[in-house]
Amino acid sequence: MLLESVEYSCPQSIDEALRELSANDGAAVLAGGQSLLNVLKNRVASVDVLVDISGLPELRTIERNAEGSLEIGACVTYDELDRSADVREGHSVLAEVAGHIEDQQIRNRGTIGGNCCLGDPTNNLPPVLIALGATMNIQGSSGIRPVAAEDFFFSFFSTAVAQGEILRSITVPPIAPGGGVGYQSLAVGADSKAIVRASAYVRANGTIEDARVVLSVVGPRPIRHTGMEQRLRGGAVSAEAVAAASEAIGDDIEPVSDSHGSAEYRRRMARVVARRAVNEAIERGASR
Amino acid sequence: MSDAGTVHPIVVTINGERYERTVLARQLLVHLIRDTLGLRGTHIGCDTGNCGACTIICDGKLIKSCMMLAVQADGTEIETVEGLAVDGELTALQRSFNEHHGLQCGYCTPGILMSATYLLRNNPDPADAEIRRAIRGNLCRCTGYVNVVESIRAAAAGVQAEEASR
Repeated sequence: MLLESVEYSCPQSIDEALRELSANDGAAVLAGGQSLLNVLKNRVASVDVLVDISGLPELRTIERNAEGSLEIGACVTYDELDRSADVREGHSVLAEVAGHIEDQQIRNRGTIGGNCCLGDPTNNLPPVLIALGATMNIQGSSGIRPVAAEDFFFSFFSTAVAQGEILRSITVPPIAPGGGVGYQSLAVGADSKAIVRASAYVRANGTIEDARVVLSVVGPRPIRHTGMEQRLRGGAVSAEAVAAASEAIGDDIEPVSDSHGSAEYRRRMARVVARRAVNEAIERGASR
Repeated sequence: MSDAGTVHPIVVTINGERYERTVLARQLLVHLIRDTLGLRGTHIGCDTGNCGACTIICDGKLIKSCMMLAVQADGTEIETVEGLAVDGELTALQRSFNEHHGLQCGYCTPGILMSATYLLRNNPDPADAEIRRAIRGNLCRCTGYVNVVESIRAAAAGVQAEEASR
């Protein structure tokens, strides 16, 4: 398949990339290309120039800071996340999710930044990053602005990154003592397209002290379900209490109906998957 | 600049041979390999990153060559299926596919051989689950994968035995 005619540029620095992106409204960032190239083959988007940032060394690093937070460059690949000792030690859920994306070939090219910036509501990493309370560091000509992961995803294929900006890195705070993160999907096949996904952060100490519940594939963007979070907070650390809290998920979410499931099926499954993610988070928090 | 866009000069090393060519930005790496350089061992099945028939190793990393632009391969070292056998001498893995009937029509085989080569380089003694995970990105519509997994397992065991007897 032939791509539509397009220009290509390989800037040698972030500043050069930002200049090229702001100089041309038709410029698009090329990172791993594992989604974008197919978009261009299908000719559903028109791009004048691809600005390839995948080789910029500043975007390829994973650093663990003294207090335990992770700073992950936007062009770190899924495979690098999966194999990173720093990620596995403090944030193993990220390594697990990244290590189950598609296949080895795609994990060797696809990037964490691309997974987020595409704004595809079925993508794996956005709900986990929101559950982890991550911060997305967006760089433009006037510097870096941090955006909370939960505010980063606007709608289908639309994020907080504006034309002329790039996602530079993602900061993931340390998981507090007693805290754990779960991630559950209901997928069409073993690890194919998800029908519903949920990721949850729970901190418990006798009772549930803090909870973040994130649902995705049930709308145009991953969302925190504050209703279920409220019912969890202060409640018992039991499967019954979690199941009762999941009943908060109802008509307030409006998933689509498609060949993989009706809206009502997705809504019911959202409760089930959210429950599983919260229970997994509790289990993991207890074993730390 | 032609109608199709700017022409980019690139230098790429494939199976130890250096090639200097010019490419258009829109050209996929698999088309450079097959159409421009005539290395047709690398196949195209789907052209959308699903089937893995175009799998190669680029700078030591397993990738699908339909999911990378040719211009992005500038300065890289690439291995394709043609580079596995040296002077017509098949690798242990290739012989194992022959011995264990690890292919039927053979269309997916170049890609599977590259995925298995990458696996055994990084994990010389893989468990069956690791073998299956390693070829997840390669679709085969003939074998049902059983003999593919058997071929890879036997190749790994053979290499282990050979090293042990040294």
